[in-house]
Amino acid sequence: MTADFRNSAVLRAKGNHFEAFEVGKRFEHHWGRTLRHSEAALFSTLTLHFNPLYFNREYAAALGHADTPVNPLMVFTLVLGLSVEDLSEAGGAFLGVDDLDYGAAVYPDDTLTARSTVVALRDSSSSPMMGIATWHTEGFNQKGERVISFVRTNMVPRLKPREVAVQ
Amino acid sequence: MKIASLTSKDSYFEAFTVGEVMRHARGKTVEPLENVLITNLVMNTASGHFDEHAMKDSPFGRRVTFGGVTASLVIGMASQDTAENALAEIGMTGLRLKSPVFHGDTLYSYTEVLAKEDAGREDAGIVTFKHWGVNQDDVVVCECVRRVLVKRASHWGAA
Repeated sequence: MTADFRNSAVLRAKGNHFEAFEVGKRFEHHWGRTLRHSEAALFSTLTLHFNPLYFNREYAAALGHADTPVNPLMVFTLVLGLSVEDLSEAGGAFLGVDDLDYGAAVYPDDTLTARSTVVALRDSSSSPMMGIATWHTEGFNQKGERVISFVRTNMVPRLKPREVAVQ
Repeated sequence: MKIASLTSKDSYFEAFTVGEVMRHARGKTVEPLENVLITNLVMNTASGHFDEHAMKDSPFGRRVTFGGVTASLVIGMASQDTAENALAEIGMTGLRLKSPVFHGDTLYSYTEVLAKEDAGREDAGIVTFKHWGVNQDDVVVCECVRRVLVKRASHWGAA
């Protein structure tokens, strides 16, 4: 009798633990993504983002755009999304984002890629099983122009609990 | 096309007063339609946002909404009153996810006008907004500060 496939299967684990990070380490994130008009319009309408700039091409043209720009919040969530496997897939609360600046406008059919650098690592006072990581994440279009830059902070699980000095 | 007829008159730069606080009219119940669809669309691979079975054993016991979705909805619900006449989003800071959001929770949005400034172009100004998202139990789930380049009615009001 052949062994059940589940018994021989090896887990292809995803994500990094806190110990994988050191300040200054850079990650070039996977995949990239070409954004299409329909999904950009879907994002704006689904989030009730009612600025016609993002879903009315004639209006966008009157404001000087050749096409409707992609809602910057979609650019933000996409660039963050591309960074997740390297940075935060292991779980732990998403604490916040600071210093977010939008760069070049993103248009339908632009292709975005993302990269991040570790900027700070500290202990969590609430859990020896967690660390707090801060990364600088940037997104770029196919011409190499920066479309977004932000600093994100997350709780990240440790592989091994931090040793706490016994008082 | 006469574009001034497509947006309301009370969302130009001149209309905002520093210190005013707005409660935005529409709330939205977060469903997998928002959380799972957007999480997957933007390829956020953290399965805690889309694997209900795996999350059964977590402290939450169910999927948790991606904070990027929460922030996008809270800003979205504020957008008609704060960005309907925006020429561009400039940036954001102080985004804090303060309480988890689950499928079935209903979010509402509030905004304070923190500052107004010239933009270095005469047809628009920069407005700084503070946004809060609250759930159906009046718990603050997120907050952020956002800067937007907004048309001036003096230039665009009859465009």
